[in-house]
Amino acid sequence: MGFELDRVGLVHANGQAQGQRALRAVSIVAARGERLAIIGPSGAGKTTLLRILATSIRPTEGRVSVLGAHPWQLGAGELRRLRSRIGFIHQAPPIPPRQRAITAVIAGRLGQWPWWKSALSLLYPADIAGPRDQLARLDLADRLFDRCDRLSGGQLQRVGVARVLYQRPDLLLADEPVSAMDPALADLAVSQLHSEAQSRGVTLVASLHAVDIALRWFPRVIGLKAGEIVFDLPPAQVSDSVLRDLYASETALPSQDSEPFHPHVEHAQEAAGAARASVAPPRVI
Amino acid sequence: MSAVSFAERRAALGFCLHCWLSLLLLAVLVWGSFAYLSLDLARLFTAESGRGMLQFAMRFFPPDISAEFLRKIAKGTLETLAISAVGTLLAAGAGLLLALPAAGRMGGVLKGLTRFLLNALRSVPELVWAALMVLAAGLGPFAGTLALALHTSGVLGRLFAESLENAPPEPARALAESGAAPALAFVYGTLPVITPQLVSYSLYRWEMNIRMATVLGFVGAGGLGQMLYYELSLLHEPQASSVIIAMLALVVLVDAASAWVRRRQMRPAG
Repeated sequence: MGFELDRVGLVHANGQAQGQRALRAVSIVAARGERLAIIGPSGAGKTTLLRILATSIRPTEGRVSVLGAHPWQLGAGELRRLRSRIGFIHQAPPIPPRQRAITAVIAGRLGQWPWWKSALSLLYPADIAGPRDQLARLDLADRLFDRCDRLSGGQLQRVGVARVLYQRPDLLLADEPVSAMDPALADLAVSQLHSEAQSRGVTLVASLHAVDIALRWFPRVIGLKAGEIVFDLPPAQVSDSVLRDLYASETALPSQDSEPFHPHVEHAQEAAGAARASVAPPRVI
Repeated sequence: MSAVSFAERRAALGFCLHCWLSLLLLAVLVWGSFAYLSLDLARLFTAESGRGMLQFAMRFFPPDISAEFLRKIAKGTLETLAISAVGTLLAAGAGLLLALPAAGRMGGVLKGLTRFLLNALRSVPELVWAALMVLAAGLGPFAGTLALALHTSGVLGRLFAESLENAPPEPARALAESGAAPALAFVYGTLPVITPQLVSYSLYRWEMNIRMATVLGFVGAGGLGQMLYYELSLLHEPQASSVIIAMLALVVLVDAASAWVRRRQMRPAG
């Protein structure tokens, strides 16, 4: 009961990219507990693919089945219940700047808690140990009560990871989850995602810019280029020539060490959104 | 040094032709106004009128500072503060409720309707609302509170709606996509982003409303203003002067307090 994509395609219907094709005939079947990495050059459609799995955009072609359900045939209530079982780690963590880390983590369970428990947690957190333990897994327990605008980019990204770990989803999607972290922390974060996936049988899909992390950690690596799947292989069979073909237009293979945090073209909008979120000044008239 | 040529003089005169025209227009307007209102400017500056003004001013001194009257002033001051505080608080609540549809979160029809309502509330001045509310609810602080609440709802609703429209949608959308109900996604994802703005708008309007509440009493809506109107009507100048001093003190205090609060609020994280 992982997910199934059957010849999924997407042509943007509106916005700046109107009429552009983002995905073409993508078919992936993943079982419960499988761990997949998606790699590919910027603009290949990695984020689009993840957002289709997150049920946040509806593909224009093909069939989607997530956790045994067809999201676009569900009613509003059922869709919400399905979504509460899907966790999405955003590259630019969508967290209000003034929110405290503990509140940002607690927000992961809003879809599962009764509304009064969520509402009261704004005044006094209904669970302190849980968020603390999740942050501790990422070496961030000491920032539990800090405001998120006082955290560095890498720390904020770890809060975003902790939120999704705290959500305890059955399908864990991660869009460049470690792009702002140094290599050691990136390894720690990815290892925690893996232990979560293995211990609870969670299906894990991560898009990664750093090829070395993908090959080191994931039993299944999918190469995506110009909206199409180029290969779907175990890491041992992902040879240098396969990678060179995938990144044909790029000069060097990207890795976590060589690639500091640079939002790519496909993430430019999200990054801009995050920047806006962090500079909303109190305006006085 | 050579002589200034005629062409140069003409250029110097011409380079600000519209300044000359504006000055001329202003002079004509001032003269016209005085003539139309039959004001005799010269009479204002005679020795006799100077004496008259001095006598009038002296009637306000010394102010009445008997313990009994000071107690009345204290009561009036508190009433003014209470009118403004309750009025602003009601307006902030109503403003936030109206801002949600006005920011287009509940469809285009409701957006248009609430925008119209907010404009209507805002375009009627507080004093007019107060006069209407005195007719509707009777003399006293209740009418003043309602008047402030109605006008300020329009102002704050509009400002809050703009804050909502400018708030980044990503945090709330991310929560909604992890199964959070819309209301919870709003309070966890959007409200924390805009709260500083909402608070600073509300404080600013409260400050304005305290000043406004001192005046609203003139139409019978309670507070210091009503006291001032009452004492002036009976030609009790010493009492009126005490009330005016109390009003000034209140406004100065409120300005200082709000500057202090805003400085604290604007301080960067740290």
